[in-house]
Amino acid sequence: MKNKNIKHTVLATLLLAGATFYSCTDLKEEVYSEVLASNYQPTEKDLPAIVAPVYSSLRSLMLGWQGYFDLQEEAADAIITPVRPNGWDDGGTYRRMHQHTWTSLQWQPENAWQSSFRSITTANRVLSQISDGDIPLTTGKEQIEAELRAVRAFAYYLLLDNHGNVPIVTDFKDVNLPKQSTRKEVYDFVVKELLEVMPNLSENASTTYGQMNRWGAKALLAKIYLNAEVYTGTPQWENAIAQADEVIKSGKYMLDANYSDVFTWTNFNSKEIIFAIPYDEIYGTGNQIHMKTLDPLSRTVYPMNAGPWGGNCAVPQFIDTYDAEDSRLADTWIMGPQKNATTGAVVITYNKSVPSMEKTSSTDGFRIGKYKIKPNATGSLDNDFPFLRYADVLMIKAEALLRTGKAAEAATIVSDVRKRAFKTNAAKATVTAADLAKGSRYNYGYQAVDGSVTERQGGDDIKFGRMLDELGWEFAAEAHRRQDLIRFGVYEKKKWFNHRPQAAQRALFPIPQAELDKNTNLKQNPGY
Amino acid sequence: MNKLSRFIREVSCALLFSFALILLPATKAKAAERQISGQVLSAEDKAPLPGVTIIVKGNNSVGTATDTEGKFKLTVPDEATLILSYIGYTSQEIVVGNQSELTIELAPDQKQLSEVVVIGYGTQKKGDVTSSVASIKREDFIKGTVRDAAQLVQGKVAGLRITTPSGSPTSNTQINLRGINSINGTSDPLILIDGIPGGLNTVAPEDIESVDVLKDGSAAAIYGTRATGGVILITTRKNRGTSKSTIEYSNYVNVQTIASRPQLLTGDDYRQKIKEGIDYTDYGGNTDWLSEIMQKPVSHNHNLTFFGGNSTTNFTGSVNYRNWEGIFLRSGQSRFTGRADLNHSMFNHKLKTNLQLINRITSTNGAVSPADNDAAYGYIYRQAMIRNPTDRVKTETGAWQERDGYFYENPVSRIYESNYAAKFKEMRMSGSIDYAPINDLNFKLLVSNVQNSTLDGGSTTFNHTNTRLSNQNATAFRSTNADNQNLLEFTGNYAKSFGKHRFTLLGGYSWQDATYEEFSASNWDFPTDSYDWNNLGAGGALQKGQAAMASSKNKWQLAGFFGRLTYSFNEKYLFMASVRREGSSRFGVNNQWGTFPAASVGWRLSKEKFMEGLTGVSEIKLRAGFGVTGTIANSPYLSQISYNFDRNEGAFIGGKWVPGFVPARNFNPNLRWEKKEEVNAGIDFGFMKNRISGSVDFYSRKVKDLLYDFPVPVPPYLTNIMQINAGTMKNQGLEVLLNLVPVQTANLQWNSGFTYSTNRNKLVSLSNDQFEAANDFFDAGYTGEPIQVSTHRVKVGEPIGRFFVWKSVGVDEKGAWLIENKDGEVIPIANATPEDRQYYGNGIPKHILGWNNSVRFKSFDLAVNMRGAFGYDILNFQSMFYNNPRNKAYNMLKTAYDPIDGKVLNTDLVYVSNYIENGNYWKIDNVTLGYTLPVNLVKGMKNARIFVSGLNLITLTKYSGVDPEGVVMTGFAPGSDQRDKYPTTRTFTAGLSVTF
Repeated sequence: MKNKNIKHTVLATLLLAGATFYSCTDLKEEVYSEVLASNYQPTEKDLPAIVAPVYSSLRSLMLGWQGYFDLQEEAADAIITPVRPNGWDDGGTYRRMHQHTWTSLQWQPENAWQSSFRSITTANRVLSQISDGDIPLTTGKEQIEAELRAVRAFAYYLLLDNHGNVPIVTDFKDVNLPKQSTRKEVYDFVVKELLEVMPNLSENASTTYGQMNRWGAKALLAKIYLNAEVYTGTPQWENAIAQADEVIKSGKYMLDANYSDVFTWTNFNSKEIIFAIPYDEIYGTGNQIHMKTLDPLSRTVYPMNAGPWGGNCAVPQFIDTYDAEDSRLADTWIMGPQKNATTGAVVITYNKSVPSMEKTSSTDGFRIGKYKIKPNATGSLDNDFPFLRYADVLMIKAEALLRTGKAAEAATIVSDVRKRAFKTNAAKATVTAADLAKGSRYNYGYQAVDGSVTERQGGDDIKFGRMLDELGWEFAAEAHRRQDLIRFGVYEKKKWFNHRPQAAQRALFPIPQAELDKNTNLKQNPGY
Repeated sequence: MNKLSRFIREVSCALLFSFALILLPATKAKAAERQISGQVLSAEDKAPLPGVTIIVKGNNSVGTATDTEGKFKLTVPDEATLILSYIGYTSQEIVVGNQSELTIELAPDQKQLSEVVVIGYGTQKKGDVTSSVASIKREDFIKGTVRDAAQLVQGKVAGLRITTPSGSPTSNTQINLRGINSINGTSDPLILIDGIPGGLNTVAPEDIESVDVLKDGSAAAIYGTRATGGVILITTRKNRGTSKSTIEYSNYVNVQTIASRPQLLTGDDYRQKIKEGIDYTDYGGNTDWLSEIMQKPVSHNHNLTFFGGNSTTNFTGSVNYRNWEGIFLRSGQSRFTGRADLNHSMFNHKLKTNLQLINRITSTNGAVSPADNDAAYGYIYRQAMIRNPTDRVKTETGAWQERDGYFYENPVSRIYESNYAAKFKEMRMSGSIDYAPINDLNFKLLVSNVQNSTLDGGSTTFNHTNTRLSNQNATAFRSTNADNQNLLEFTGNYAKSFGKHRFTLLGGYSWQDATYEEFSASNWDFPTDSYDWNNLGAGGALQKGQAAMASSKNKWQLAGFFGRLTYSFNEKYLFMASVRREGSSRFGVNNQWGTFPAASVGWRLSKEKFMEGLTGVSEIKLRAGFGVTGTIANSPYLSQISYNFDRNEGAFIGGKWVPGFVPARNFNPNLRWEKKEEVNAGIDFGFMKNRISGSVDFYSRKVKDLLYDFPVPVPPYLTNIMQINAGTMKNQGLEVLLNLVPVQTANLQWNSGFTYSTNRNKLVSLSNDQFEAANDFFDAGYTGEPIQVSTHRVKVGEPIGRFFVWKSVGVDEKGAWLIENKDGEVIPIANATPEDRQYYGNGIPKHILGWNNSVRFKSFDLAVNMRGAFGYDILNFQSMFYNNPRNKAYNMLKTAYDPIDGKVLNTDLVYVSNYIENGNYWKIDNVTLGYTLPVNLVKGMKNARIFVSGLNLITLTKYSGVDPEGVVMTGFAPGSDQRDKYPTTRTFTAGLSVTF
């Protein structure tokens, strides 16, 4: 009897154990906080969310920490990030940007590379999903595809301009390590893509704000043609004019009455902006221009709901090129005494002078004020970043005309653009063909600590230097300057502030070391 | 050879166990005394034992020792119980009764050999163990103020490094066993409390009976995928005797001071410097900011444990309350831990049941999150370091004196204008049924459920810098999470001996699942700051979309089957083999299951005939083992193809902002276990009746298929990194343990233990068949702004822990660093490029030493624990940031103006090798002096002891920072002594314990 009991107990125990074995080897992972691809069938209403990531990476790319803005401006002659009293040297990264002594480890070019390719990969992925039918589109498939390809072309344009020799990838499913293309091939690809998709892109300028529409594509193409000689050795002035003209003739855009309207926190209302990277203090954060440029003491001036970091400022030699009556000077730079918004007490005074890259005080240098700071602004501005605007198109056309011997026509356009900047003295707005033939007013040379310009080169010898100056005044702090300096032959030849010319190959940034390491097909750009 | 002695070795040990056996009232009315005499013999060979310590239980002052013929005479009270102890023999208690002439036989202890060691799913006699297992019993624990279970055995287990990197009352010790063994997974050991996964704080240190550490692969492999970092088995105190009725109470109180106080420029120094023409701002005052943020903390700890019942039904209960304060104002934490352990056996002990409940509550009411103490107080500490010493704490109107500056805030206001309350609750329930249907065979079913939850609330007031700088008008948040873990283990155990053969067979199944859920919401812009976090809806920011709200949930499952066979022949030749097959939900379907085998052998040389003549040898055992363990991925969903709607990836599409629909990661359905293979060889030895004993272990471990965030090109991949199984890491090392009893006389006993370990680490590769890394290194560590560079580089073929830095060779006439460039030339730092960085030093110590001493003199006991680490370097952030006079907006160390190469530094903050210092140190860490009170002081009292103790007392080092041990030693940036930290402290403790 006793034995039997034991047997029963053993049996029961084993059965119990057996039961648990059976139920407890189920290792299927239950997913709660993510959307499983296998369980999710997107519908047409999800389309904006699916397309959004193609654009979202442009936010951090443009104005993110050490992003495209810094890449274009700090390598040029208008903006520097000198060491501030709080010790912002960051291992010399800003000095290397200014002096063109970067290496393949420099973060800013790597950042631009990675953000550009993130957009490209996302575009490829969504294009592939559309063509596979994973995303059901009943109408408008061509337009969506055209838009995705146009954004991809935009990202490739950035790579074309910065790194030149990059791999062209259009097939999402190809998992082989991409092959590198030459700058010429990238140029051809971008031009071909833009021309192909143009007919299918939306013509509606108002419903496509922040997205690639037909006019954005044309303005972009005009810009690419303007720089074609740099990219390929062959100029495309007539093509630049033709594309610009189409935008102009469309009548969809115009110059805003006030220059500053283009850059306010409500600039999505601007009639001038053709393609913007939209920012929002809640939904689309990342416009930190004010945080990087302002001293912490400026917080009470607007007032701001964030303590800025205090960093970059204008190169004094660049400020010296402005006409005193050009309202764009005050519209672009924060200068002089800054007053507390409530008490009116002066909290800090920004001076033009900057002693050196290595050592400054917090008051040295005019700060970037183009992107107006709304009262109670947070660490992220609402202001959209206008990448292509109507004035661009006009100036592209003007420059192309100038370079093809039509200086008078060019002068008319430039004068038109200048008008709103010289409201107090309209006569000064007018520029003549002869003016445009002059050199630059920029007093190129190495700046000593006392502010004097040594090793002086001046700007007289720069062909169409006045046109370069015009671009500088109109587009200061819009991430244009590096490209313009290259096109006007200044970038590799002139000295400014604490910069002395480096090898001509510095016009292209290096292929980032991290990318060379990941993809053995890639070859470094010459000179690195 | 020994004189008679009246005091026994390890009184506490004897008291502890003897009470279980004897239920005599400790004192009675003063009884008549009489003389007894007797002889003590060895039970083995009946030879007389000289020098055996004999005391009367309950009265340490009455005692003697046997003479050269093993004889003794003693005057004892009526109904006395004698306690006999002798090194190498088991202590014994003898009830005198009415005898006057006694002959007592003592059994050879073979202390270590008969000692039971806890191993995976069972216990084993120490003599049978063939793996590398360390076992520390309660009587050998570190005494005094003990932070957590790990600190109990600090410096006592060779190869297990335990340090205290933070002085925060909320932080734990940092533990590491045998080097760094994972990149993305964890190198932390698996901690089991009575077989159930838990942490170092699951039970109070006072409630722990023993800590056993499974060090090598052959021991740990039975725990499969959780065991690469080793296994720490914590056994709680239990009523093990037949019957025992005891109440123990203990407490201590401690005070703390900062381990080493940085010397900053004072207000007067500022004014002096201004006179010298240096551009400082003088606000007229003289404020010692470090003093302003610090308090004189008083902490206390109380523990009550009771045992009761009889041989079939008994219980253990304990209640522990601890209230610790930190050296910074408003930092502290209180913990309550209650435990009940019930045992009942039936059917003549064939069926044993156990029920255990552990409930603990950790409460924090202070300025910042307890989880964030190091970071939040670290920032406050930084503000106190850099704040202008001529400035004042408050203005004449009583408002905080704030100034606009770059990351420049009044540190005192940050403490007082921020509130935080956190409550952590855990309830652990476990039950087991152990059934032995026949002799030699038993089945055990263990089930447990562990539920814990946190509820946190934090707020800042209108006067906080959040409002001043960001106009947030008071902020508040609330967060909660809940974790529910189930464990079921079924084991069968068969043990059989026939002739000289003995074997055991274990088979089992284990199931574990865990579900984690969390929710948090924050808000700001409140009409009043009096709500704290108790009326989140009253704020305005959440409604405007500015504040965040989040929730998530995940679940994992782990199933395992395991078996083990041990065999010994004639107690001489030992063999063990085990295997575990385990599957996890965190890996892809193709790779869910892994197999983790182990085997080990042992040879007890001392049992061989040819060793018989060597009387000085007590034990020599050779061991060798091999085992495979795994490491699981540390986050869920890694193998899933999934997407997220992400607002950060959103864009302005069709005239409005929409979230982005983005892939969660690069998909890798091939993810699988990391596998560690380890070979261990060792020797256990004991000489002179184990007065000299110890062990030496050599190990070599290789971790393959390391989970690594591999950098991949985009395109073709979706994001820049992809988690894959790539890479191999190697650790080799030597561990030595040596226990000595240098002195054992009548009144004096001195035990001394040494531990030594060394580890050599190498990253062997970072590639696999599919992914070939051209980039054979990765960077780790970060200086923080405004320097903003990585600090370490881990390179294939090289050891982990090396700094990667511009090597400074001097300072030029302008006060700027001169560095050595990549071609070996000396260049000014202004011309340095990132390519000029080079490897310099290593943050992982080559040699780790411990030396623990306990001395007993009459009723006094003294413990001195020392340890040190040698052959490594520390990156001194304090020096890097505050030993540079360039930035006059911030305060700095007095030494900032000390010239280097005859020049005062005049250069920006920069990461150069000058700040990497030799970290060698020798620490006289814990000194505890105790006194055991005469027992008849209080009626009914069985034992009473008082003690004073000092922790982190003296550090001998050339390192110039706060504490060479107060640094992070795990991960890939070891040896970083961060700028923002909660500095380590020196602790002075007084306490008492009484047993009734």
